[in-house]
Amino acid sequence: MPADAVFAAEAVTGSRKPDAILVVNGMHRSFGGLAAVDVGHLEVQRGVITALIGPNGAGKTTLFNLLTGFDRPDGGSSTFDGRPVTGLPPHRIARAGMIRTFQLTKALAKMSVLDNMMLAAPHQRGERIVYAPLRSAWRHQERDVEERAGSLLEKFGLADLRDDYAATLSGGQRKLLEMARVLMAEPKMVLLDEPMAGVNPALVESLLHHVRELRDEGLTVLFVEHDMDVVMGISDWVVCMGEGRVISEGRRRSWPPTKR
Amino acid sequence: MDIVIVVADAVRASVGPLGAAYALTAIGLNLHYGYTGLLNFGHVAFLMVGAYGTAVTVDQGGPFWLGILVGVIAAILLGLLFGLPTLRLRVDYLAIVTIAGGEVLRTVIRSGDKDSLTGGVFGITQFATTFFGANPFPEGEYGWGRLAFTERQLWVAVVAWSLVALATILLVLLVRSPWGRVLRSIREDEDAARSLGKNVFAYKLQSLVTGGVIAAFAGMIIAIERQSVHPDTYLPAGTFLAYAVLILGGTASRLGPVLGAVVYWFLFEFTDGFLRGAISAGWIPGASSRRPTSARSE
Ligand SMILES: Nc1ncnc2c1ncn2[C@@H]1O[C@H](COP(=O)(O)OP(=O)(O)OP(=O)(O)O)[C@@H](O)[C@H]1O
Ligand SMILES: [Mg+2]
Repeated sequence: MPADAVFAAEAVTGSRKPDAILVVNGMHRSFGGLAAVDVGHLEVQRGVITALIGPNGAGKTTLFNLLTGFDRPDGGSSTFDGRPVTGLPPHRIARAGMIRTFQLTKALAKMSVLDNMMLAAPHQRGERIVYAPLRSAWRHQERDVEERAGSLLEKFGLADLRDDYAATLSGGQRKLLEMARVLMAEPKMVLLDEPMAGVNPALVESLLHHVRELRDEGLTVLFVEHDMDVVMGISDWVVCMGEGRVISEGRRRSWPPTKR
Repeated sequence: MDIVIVVADAVRASVGPLGAAYALTAIGLNLHYGYTGLLNFGHVAFLMVGAYGTAVTVDQGGPFWLGILVGVIAAILLGLLFGLPTLRLRVDYLAIVTIAGGEVLRTVIRSGDKDSLTGGVFGITQFATTFFGANPFPEGEYGWGRLAFTERQLWVAVVAWSLVALATILLVLLVRSPWGRVLRSIREDEDAARSLGKNVFAYKLQSLVTGGVIAAFAGMIIAIERQSVHPDTYLPAGTFLAYAVLILGGTASRLGPVLGAVVYWFLFEFTDGFLRGAISAGWIPGASSRRPTSARSE
């Protein structure tokens, strides 16, 4: 089990990890005089679930924005899967395999649930303007994409809603849709910004289950969460931020006790 | 007043070349504003470069078909000129650059003298002889009574409405494709599209250029129908008329622009004809069909 690999990493701030997929170096960003992010060295290990915790305003979302190209750092760099990604536009970083979600869900309310899913599929021929008017050029691929979207929606319990507008979904269902949509994009690593916030407890269980499944399928998960029960429940590694810095990091303590 | 004549004239205007040209203008704008959410406030400039591209080329001795090609290329270049510096920024920047850029371009075209490339305030005339030479309709009147077109008007109208049909079909194919799906996602939330790996900038640029080329054809039709281009045809008000037509017919709808253009021209001509008739029949007290200046001097 890849998650066991966390035992090879030393539980100190900025620790080196075997097979790190994401490496952040000296990344800082300030707004006015406020240092929102000032991360010396941070590595995220491949194939494990890493929780990013910290009080409000600690810089977690800002760090996500810097990593995914939605904001530019004042200095420092990051490499993803061995490639430097600092300064690349967001869509290039997403295509490299690092897909993020937003603290406030960005389900596309005026599009159907199915369209939300199909949009996310990568390498679509019909998305190129020269092929777009020629249905025969992309019909087969479109069918495959629809099939894949359908089975993911099935898995996330949204199959009955596929033709509904995303606007009609509840907050929790939107979080589910966003997570399913991320998978549709075939990422190597997902960055989830508070995926459980505002979700009712019944759905939290199902979301947690899906996050674990992502890891078991080999994906790397980095997620922001305030609920410590959730953090302790599913994460393999925990990184704690405060005032823009990484204060500490380490393995999740074996609490609550699990069978492992 | 003969209401039948007023209605006939209004119908004539709405199904004529100008109705078609307005439909094309609105189809291009629909792609920008309706489907992509771009605020293009200089749409009329696309009509202008299309018309001038054709007129100048023919006026300089080039063949007519080359003129059409030059008009299309001019619209592509204008789209890039408007889009490249602004589409990475917030939506407002495109609005500012298009409205200002269109006026600057018009002023430049206008500022030449009679012998300049654009003919300055004199414009260019008689550049569509080849087009009318290719008219397959023999000389005569087509239609019934007031609703009749000359063979020249009919030829322009047939070509113009064919272009409207082509553009409508192209747009339906485009917006139903995965490309159109990306466009809709951009209209709703650019960041969501970006986070899923879509190059938002490229899509916006493609939308701007494609809609601009469609509008350039509208400009060519208006110019050909009159056999004349003149800078004052392309005042900024033209852009807002196009928005009016689009909103009248319904944004982001397939036949909205066509419906909007037909209804607009019908209402415009009908109101005009009706008021003229009403005034000369003395139905509107105090109004005179003579100009107010002459009334005052009496
Ligand atoms: N665009 C911005 N302009 C100015 N200040 C900002 C901006 N974005 C973030 N900040 C500031 O940077 C700091 C870090 O904010 P950030 O949103 O990253 O925190 P967070 O850890 O995600 O908090 P939360 O748990 O509340 O989501 C905060 O003090 C915030 O006010
Ligand atoms: Mg946050």
